[in-house]
Amino acid sequence: MDIQSYIASGKLELFLLGELNEREREEVLALSKQYPEIQQELNELEEAMFALDELTGTKPSPKVKDKIFASLEQDFKKAETVKPTAAPVETKVVKLSPWKPFAVAASLVAVIASAVAIFYANKFYERDQQFTALLQEQSVMADNLNQVKLEYEQKDTQLDRFVAGDFKRVEMKGEGFEMQKDAKVDVFWDQSAKEVFVAVNNLNSLADEYDYQLWAIGDDGPIGIGLVNPGEKLTLQQMDAVAQAGAFAITIEPKGGSESPTLEKLVVLGEVA
Amino acid sequence: MEEEQLIAGLRAKDRKTTDYLYEKYSRALFAVISRIVHDSDIAEEVFHDAFVKITRKIDSYDESKGRLYTWMANICRNSAIDKLRSKEISQSGKTNTIDDFVYGLESKSGTVEETDAIGVRELMDQLNEDQRFIIEYIYFKGYTHSEVSEEFDIPLGTVKSRVRASLQVLKKNLDRI
Repeated sequence: MDIQSYIASGKLELFLLGELNEREREEVLALSKQYPEIQQELNELEEAMFALDELTGTKPSPKVKDKIFASLEQDFKKAETVKPTAAPVETKVVKLSPWKPFAVAASLVAVIASAVAIFYANKFYERDQQFTALLQEQSVMADNLNQVKLEYEQKDTQLDRFVAGDFKRVEMKGEGFEMQKDAKVDVFWDQSAKEVFVAVNNLNSLADEYDYQLWAIGDDGPIGIGLVNPGEKLTLQQMDAVAQAGAFAITIEPKGGSESPTLEKLVVLGEVA
Repeated sequence: MEEEQLIAGLRAKDRKTTDYLYEKYSRALFAVISRIVHDSDIAEEVFHDAFVKITRKIDSYDESKGRLYTWMANICRNSAIDKLRSKEISQSGKTNTIDDFVYGLESKSGTVEETDAIGVRELMDQLNEDQRFIIEYIYFKGYTHSEVSEEFDIPLGTVKSRVRASLQVLKKNLDRI
């Protein structure tokens, strides 16, 4: 690299005048570190510029200096109180009263203590709420568990009876009737124990003012033996005891059931084989 | 005071160091500004702002990117150019020439801050016509080299070499004055 022609290009002057872009500035800096001649030329040029400025300049009026130092007073004060060691010459003059650091330290401790107290108070409140929520959850779970237990015991008893008893399955279907062609409900009947269960396989839900009613049709005509819940599918619903029946049927009746079946609203029918 | 010491003191916001900086550089830095802004009240206002800026931005000064005086002079120069281009100063009064400047110095002679106006005139007389033109625009009117190149249709390289040549002449002759 031809250093002399680089120096002669005028780039160094523009560098000092602040007129180079970032890339060119980096270039000058890198080269000045690499070539002492360039660094020396820069130094000389800077000194020349300073000398030229110094020669051609006049001092600004004293009131400008006062104004500048008034503007900077805050900066000095801040530095002097925060870091007294930063101005070693003045530390001898500025005497800090001994109570000041203690007061500062004490208030700092107070502020920190308050902050910690508030922090832990908040934490405690949070935990307390979480604890209450957990207690509630636990009692809900205990209730659920009791219910499940009860249901389990019921099913267990039903199963016991089922296994021990002599149940006959009677399929009731809706095929021949207008109400619901695909309706299907099974009756399980232990003739000797007189026990009857129904299991809904497929049965439409009803409006609130109606119920499904199960009838045992024997020698004395149909006898209502209980209401069937269409929502409890494929579970055993216990009905009233029946000793003698040739067929079972379900009709739709006004809520609560009727004394005698509304035959126009017969849904399913099944004969005891 | 060494430059390192000076910078450290400024960074610590030390009052004495700031005072030293002011005493050593205010004349030259104010010259940078008043070359560009001729109204002395406005120039002093610009100088106030620039000097405060220098002391407050000293933390962003990077020693590896140039020396302190160059950094400070550039802050002053840019502040002056900003002021000149702002609406506060009407452009009609912008007929600054070296002669105006020297005349300004001469008219101030006799005050406490006496300047060697004759010296400056002698110094400027060492420049040839082209060099004088370049110095006038770049140094006294606050033009950038590319602005001079565009406005007067002088190739950028020529502007650069004339700036260099002018400063070389001034550098050589400064010692004599």
